[in-house]
Amino acid sequence: MTYSGPVWQALRGVGLAGVALAGLLTAVGAGQELQAPVASRLLVQEAALPPIDRGLRDQDPPRAARNRDDAERLRAEAGDDGLPYVRGSVIVKFKDGASAGAITAATRQVAGDTVDRSSWANFDIIDIPDAADPEAAAAVLRERPDVEYAQPRYLNYAMSRPNDPLYANQWNFPAIDMERAWDIQPGATADIIVAVLDSGVAFRSGTFRYNSRFAFRMTPGGPRYPALGIVDVPFAAAPELGTSGSTRFVAPRDFIWDDDAPVDLDSHGTHVTGTVGQLTNNGLGVAGMAYNVRIMPVKIIQGLWDEIFSSPFEGTDDVVARGIRYAADNGAKVINLSIGRSEGGPAPVVTDAMRYAVGRGVFIAVAAGNTRASGNQPNRLAQPAPDINGMVAVGAVGLALDSAFYSTSGSFVELAAPGGDQRAGGTSAGILQQTLDLDLLETYDRPVSQYGPPRADSFAYYYFQGTSMATPHVAGFAALLMQQGVTSPAAVEAAMKQFATDKGAAGRDDLFGFGLINPRATLRGLGLAR
Amino acid sequence: MTRRLPLIAVLAVIAAAATTVPAAAQTRTRRPAAAPSRSVQIGGYAMAGQFTFAAAESFDAVLGTSSGPIVGGGATLGLPFGGLFVDVGAWRFAQSGERALVLDGQVISLGIPLDVTIVPIEISAGWKFRIRRLPKLIPYAAGGYTSFGYRETSTFAGAGEDVDERFGGYHLRGGAEFKITRWLGLAGELAWTTVPDAIGSGGVSKAFNENNLGGTSFRARITVGR
Repeated sequence: MTYSGPVWQALRGVGLAGVALAGLLTAVGAGQELQAPVASRLLVQEAALPPIDRGLRDQDPPRAARNRDDAERLRAEAGDDGLPYVRGSVIVKFKDGASAGAITAATRQVAGDTVDRSSWANFDIIDIPDAADPEAAAAVLRERPDVEYAQPRYLNYAMSRPNDPLYANQWNFPAIDMERAWDIQPGATADIIVAVLDSGVAFRSGTFRYNSRFAFRMTPGGPRYPALGIVDVPFAAAPELGTSGSTRFVAPRDFIWDDDAPVDLDSHGTHVTGTVGQLTNNGLGVAGMAYNVRIMPVKIIQGLWDEIFSSPFEGTDDVVARGIRYAADNGAKVINLSIGRSEGGPAPVVTDAMRYAVGRGVFIAVAAGNTRASGNQPNRLAQPAPDINGMVAVGAVGLALDSAFYSTSGSFVELAAPGGDQRAGGTSAGILQQTLDLDLLETYDRPVSQYGPPRADSFAYYYFQGTSMATPHVAGFAALLMQQGVTSPAAVEAAMKQFATDKGAAGRDDLFGFGLINPRATLRGLGLAR
Repeated sequence: MTRRLPLIAVLAVIAAAATTVPAAAQTRTRRPAAAPSRSVQIGGYAMAGQFTFAAAESFDAVLGTSSGPIVGGGATLGLPFGGLFVDVGAWRFAQSGERALVLDGQVISLGIPLDVTIVPIEISAGWKFRIRRLPKLIPYAAGGYTSFGYRETSTFAGAGEDVDERFGGYHLRGGAEFKITRWLGLAGELAWTTVPDAIGSGGVSKAFNENNLGGTSFRARITVGR
């Protein structure tokens, strides 16, 4: 039940008697088919009009909470309702020295036919029949002595809960004493690269041409939204992050569209990036934690528009793992993972990549999850955090610094940071950042008559809540610590824990972990006697 | 610097007293040099030395060293009871370092300046031993109370985050003075100071579980007076 790729699933399923298309996902009319198909998106114009700043959205009517359930609606249309993984393939890592014969035998054992090795992957993807159960196939593979691990291609999604944009202030920074922390370490420097692995970042201008080839329904039995055909979507860099083409952004990579333009069609990644490094002291908008760092935009999950435009990849575990490895190999010092999944089994492929990244000196902050009010299933990607020194699972607190109602609890939670709690404090108790203007982006939330192509060149300030919003506080904090000389990921984690403000039950607990982050105290460190 | 001036003034007064009062006494008495004094005698001294802190890991973490130079001085009052004397002295240690993190025993300096200034005042009572065959060599031993002033300041400190306190402790010291002339001598001494529970409740000293501000020191003295 996650963001998923039903359209792409359907396309892949065409060869199998159109099973995917037998659902409610409907092929467009003949007129659409006459148009030249765009196999993947196309950059049609580098230049674009200046970004539109629509300011603080504090007078908009309330918006329905948007979470992964929205993604599930599209997924349900494809007939994969409820499945936390992608059908048709599994992830497998063979042990070093596994022979070609053994690999072939393993492939045959699960009725597979090809073994694919992607870039930034130390694992393989085995194609299996769509009708096969990937979890069962992975279990069969795990029994083999030549297999290190095998798992389904579980889907990951954003860990945020956007809500009504009513402005009050950025209570989250004073809550963790950031003003005094910035006195000590003013926003780090460009020497520190923070990779934001998310839905993309509004980091560049240009116009991309997409092909909306299929109609869909947002809810079962709801109105059918038509295929839009070929559409040009304008993008711009978020004014509060940096200018398009500037050195603020480094080594961008899109694993959803398999190119180097990880633009944001969702708003989540841009909002998260703002909390990490929104430009600060520039007389505009709001602030960010580590406002001088360079940002590495890495797109590893898709938004609804990416699905509508039939992105070739989705945010499966293998894509997440490749993104982590890419970031580690391209100079990132900190990785922010405000993503994950609560369904399915463990993600050894991601854990392996996390260990690889930490081993290369990269600190990882990962969201604990937003499920406490709905079953409290842990974020599978965050669960290994206690076993990896240099990776921290982050829970969320609200305005009153109590644990947010949604913040998943468990033994894997290690730290807490402001993520907002709008149930307890209203709209302005969320985390405020600039991101894409949702009015012009989410046209699929309008009546069908108003449905049309999105714009990704208009921005506004929104309050979001979620452990997604808490996590970039920790990622930015890590960047500040690294700038201060704490370069080892394990040391960063240890320092954060040592100075965390204990909350809840005395000592470590499952809601706050070791406590609320305390950047000022950590950055200031210790004197001899005090 | 503001704390140095009073100390220097005290030392000047002590030195002046030491060179005038005993000199007057000399003209009135003609006792052998080695004979025990039967009158009150006032002397003074200036000293320099090296103090090695018991909290070695803590000082090393923030200052990069667990020892450092000290300078000071004091006044000695010889009492008319054999070799009995009392001594009031003070010295000063000052060094700059950086605030730090201690993570699993590893120290990471943070580049935030930190200054440590220590000014103990020592009140001692002791005994000077007279050796007839070596009248110019006067061994002595003493012990007493130490009021240990500790000041720690650092950049970005908020209210109440710097330290400026005085702690009580004890010391033992012993050495020998060599009389170059009747009024001028050189002395060397070893001292041991304990100031328990002065540190260890915070900072790196807590991380290293070190709570004693004392230590050992070697001091060289120039003495004036009998």
